[in-house]
Amino acid sequence: MNPDSIFTFTCPVKTNSGNKALENLPIELSSLNAGKPLIVTNIGKVGRTAIRTLTGAFGDSGMTLGVFDGLADKVDPALIEQLRTTFIEEKYDSIIALGGGTIVDSAKVLNLAVSMKTADVQSLSAQTSIRKSLLPLVVVPTADATGLETSQLADLNGTILSSEYLAPGLVVIDPRLTRGKDGKTICATGLAALGLALDAHIGAEKNPFRKAYSVAAIHFIKENLPVAVRNPDDKKATLAVINAAAMSGCAFSIADAAPLHKLGQVFQEVHNIHPGIIMGMCLPHILGDYLNQGRNDLSSLLHPLTGDDEFTQTPEAQRARAAVAVLNYFTADLYSALGKDMPQTLKEAGVPPYVMEDILEVLDADQNGVYLHTVVERIQDKTPVAERKG
Amino acid sequence: MIPMVLPDYYEFCCRVKIVTGHDTLEKIPDLLAGKGAKKPLIITDNGVAGAGLIDIVSRALQDRLAGTLIADNVPPDSDLRIVHQLAQLYRDNSCDAIIAVGGGSVMDTAKGVNIVVSENASDLMAFSGAGALKRPLKPLIAIPTTAGTGSEVTQVAVIKDHEKHLKMAFLSYFLLPDVSILDSRMTMTMPPFVTAMTGMDALSHAIEAYYCLQKNPLSDAHALSAVNMIYQYLPTVAQNPSDKNGRLAMSVGACLAGIAFSNSMTGIVHNLGHASGSVCGVPHGLAMAILLPYGLEYNMHKCEDTIARLLLPMAGEAVYLSTAKEQRAQKVVSLIRQLNEDLHKITDGRHARCFREVKDRESKPTVPREVLPQIAKAALLDGASIYNPEETDYEDNLMVLEAAWEGCPLERSKLKKG
Amino acid sequence: MRIVEVVRAGKKPFKRAYVGIFLWFTGRAIQAAATVDEQVRQEFASLPDDFTFSLGVLPDGPWMLIGKEKGRVKYLGGNPDGKHLHVRLAMKNIETAFLILSFQESTALATARNRLITEGEVPQALAMIRVMDIVEVYLLPKIIARLAVKRYPSWTFGRKVFGRIGIYTRALLGI
Repeated sequence: MNPDSIFTFTCPVKTNSGNKALENLPIELSSLNAGKPLIVTNIGKVGRTAIRTLTGAFGDSGMTLGVFDGLADKVDPALIEQLRTTFIEEKYDSIIALGGGTIVDSAKVLNLAVSMKTADVQSLSAQTSIRKSLLPLVVVPTADATGLETSQLADLNGTILSSEYLAPGLVVIDPRLTRGKDGKTICATGLAALGLALDAHIGAEKNPFRKAYSVAAIHFIKENLPVAVRNPDDKKATLAVINAAAMSGCAFSIADAAPLHKLGQVFQEVHNIHPGIIMGMCLPHILGDYLNQGRNDLSSLLHPLTGDDEFTQTPEAQRARAAVAVLNYFTADLYSALGKDMPQTLKEAGVPPYVMEDILEVLDADQNGVYLHTVVERIQDKTPVAERKG
Repeated sequence: MIPMVLPDYYEFCCRVKIVTGHDTLEKIPDLLAGKGAKKPLIITDNGVAGAGLIDIVSRALQDRLAGTLIADNVPPDSDLRIVHQLAQLYRDNSCDAIIAVGGGSVMDTAKGVNIVVSENASDLMAFSGAGALKRPLKPLIAIPTTAGTGSEVTQVAVIKDHEKHLKMAFLSYFLLPDVSILDSRMTMTMPPFVTAMTGMDALSHAIEAYYCLQKNPLSDAHALSAVNMIYQYLPTVAQNPSDKNGRLAMSVGACLAGIAFSNSMTGIVHNLGHASGSVCGVPHGLAMAILLPYGLEYNMHKCEDTIARLLLPMAGEAVYLSTAKEQRAQKVVSLIRQLNEDLHKITDGRHARCFREVKDRESKPTVPREVLPQIAKAALLDGASIYNPEETDYEDNLMVLEAAWEGCPLERSKLKKG
Repeated sequence: MRIVEVVRAGKKPFKRAYVGIFLWFTGRAIQAAATVDEQVRQEFASLPDDFTFSLGVLPDGPWMLIGKEKGRVKYLGGNPDGKHLHVRLAMKNIETAFLILSFQESTALATARNRLITEGEVPQALAMIRVMDIVEVYLLPKIIARLAVKRYPSWTFGRKVFGRIGIYTRALLGI
């Protein structure tokens, strides 16, 4: 703990996780003084079964729900304005976002729109003042998530809104929804969660309240992602990975430098590629850079990665290096399990050169842009940069 | 290593904004403004005021919130009459927020006042139990002056109706303060005896949260971090009360412990501790300190591996590496006994190591041996037993209490194991 | 734009029926146990003369009511409307009730998993939980009862066998 600094932490999100978690929704909503939720989702991403499982969980509650399954892959301000009108006219009083990524971004923006009586979603910007509670928002993640669902951020097509009031009041993680997808999906989710957790853990300040979330997230990813990737139907492993994703969002703070998050976010924004895929590529390079900078805070990473015995038996001076080695082995193992399914470079991911220009332009505007630029260069393809320039 | 276990089902919530540092009181005006409030009522007790802590708070508010109303008549035990009186004061002065500065009783009172003023209630009793509150209350900023009860981050308030001899418990996420301020200046004046007692209260929260039935990965992460900070800093701070960094670390540890046990509940240590408090008036923290090693011994056969996991965060690497795997759980118990011993020395004997040693201000023994059966019986009425890993009946309670009275280890061979 | 579809929550008739039957039988078993078992008798003796307790499912039942009338402990049916309840143990939804009453989760574990809402004075609620634990030991074979209670008690052979017969008989006959 750095005694000279003031640090703040808040996590507005309640977590409900496990067997039959969905069935508690009626009573959870009731305790938030809500009884008529609007479920918003993207049926292309989550599938009809997930929607039925969610609505079925309200069985016996006597409640009426609205379901809108037509969210687009990107946040669509015009659509949100239409939903806002329906929400107010039909007197809904809460929002349930089923799914992850842009589904939840859309839900957060919708919540802002209905709570602040804003008719013009387009006018929302990073400067928009969000100073009081919004309506109840529940996030119900599936296997496809980015970790940012539980964060205090909403991404409105590149405009980042940030406020503690944007975070959902409740995240409900149910194994019926976290299992059953493919290995690549859960891998991308897990890597995104890991990236966020690492950004939070290695963040500028030593904040024990944040670390509680980041440590738990890192541990669960390390223990469960390899299993979940090889067997995406495994109830316990997938539940643990999505738990980790939720925890990483709680730990994450926009105040950090967060190179992994930044890179993931830019590629998602410009090229619609899952941030976890990018973070997986960048991880070895960024960790190597941290080591070269002599960052000692990496050594505390070894504990959640390996546990009491291995941690204590590793000499202190070697822990940072050991932690990085564990993480590199971890990601290499995931790639080997998924083979061609999981791209390891931008070239394998099929990111065309003209997109690269846009990406580099966005990065250059970032305060850390010069460094991030160098990382992007190194993940282009497997050939070392020196040779390429040759 | 035993990986962190993901329970079949769990819930976790701590919505409090926690602001930590050496000079964080000065953030209060901005924090209030963020909640749309500018006329808080400060609720405290005269112990805290007498220690000069309210002056520090007032000075920190001075420029922005001159003339803030202060009520310092909260009794050592929360009292329904005072709750209603303070609620009236709040209304009469058109206040729009509450700042609670103090220990557990002040926090409980402030939460009770908040229910009354927010719900415009004439009968607080109507909101007792779980789930009776349906919407957010007025802004509440909690500033603990002990390290501590953890009440600044719990969803519970207990208010006593002294006329009807009733204890009302309120349980709701809406009771969580909006903000908790951990400022090292607030705990600097605690004398060693109080430091030791409240520190052991915090340690017992963390440890019970770690082994009780409602444990989950997030409460575990908070509990282990709490155990690490409290064990490391408690003796230091008891011995050097003016150690600012140590005081802050203890506040953080107590807050982490509060988050842990608020979500994971407590067990036999609190069960018997509450009972010994209500029957004999044993101070809460002291009862926790005495009973903690016994709670671990009692539950050992059900959760030895879990208890063993406490060793590394508590005692550090050197002790961990030099303790054989099978001995780790028992080592945790003996280290806690040793901690009690050390605190006993640091406080010149005021920190009791067993019930026999507990004395009141006139140095009279507080817990006569004949009263133990009464305590054992009273414990059956307390809900903390539900979350304890092992069943506890009257005979079990009495056995533990007798060992804790004498100060000798529990005879585990005599435990009923089902 | 695609329409917002309005969905009305469905029903769960089979689970409702299972839970309803179990609650009915448990209620009658508690009534029987209050006659047959000394420990249960003592638990009720320490409660107020008009004590009423309800166990059931939110939001709409099924429920089971137990009450003291003129010194006798009686199963009072399944309708809590208009009754003043000293203690209510409410399972949060029908799925939870099914988990508990099919013994996939013990009462202690269910409490630890926030499956139940307990209303009323804590000492009285604890007494009812103890009563239900005792009744479960009587009703269930050891291999299942061990999952339902925290610590399987060591009773005399006579208590277990005769108590079991007595409770089953009385519960089925409603006496």
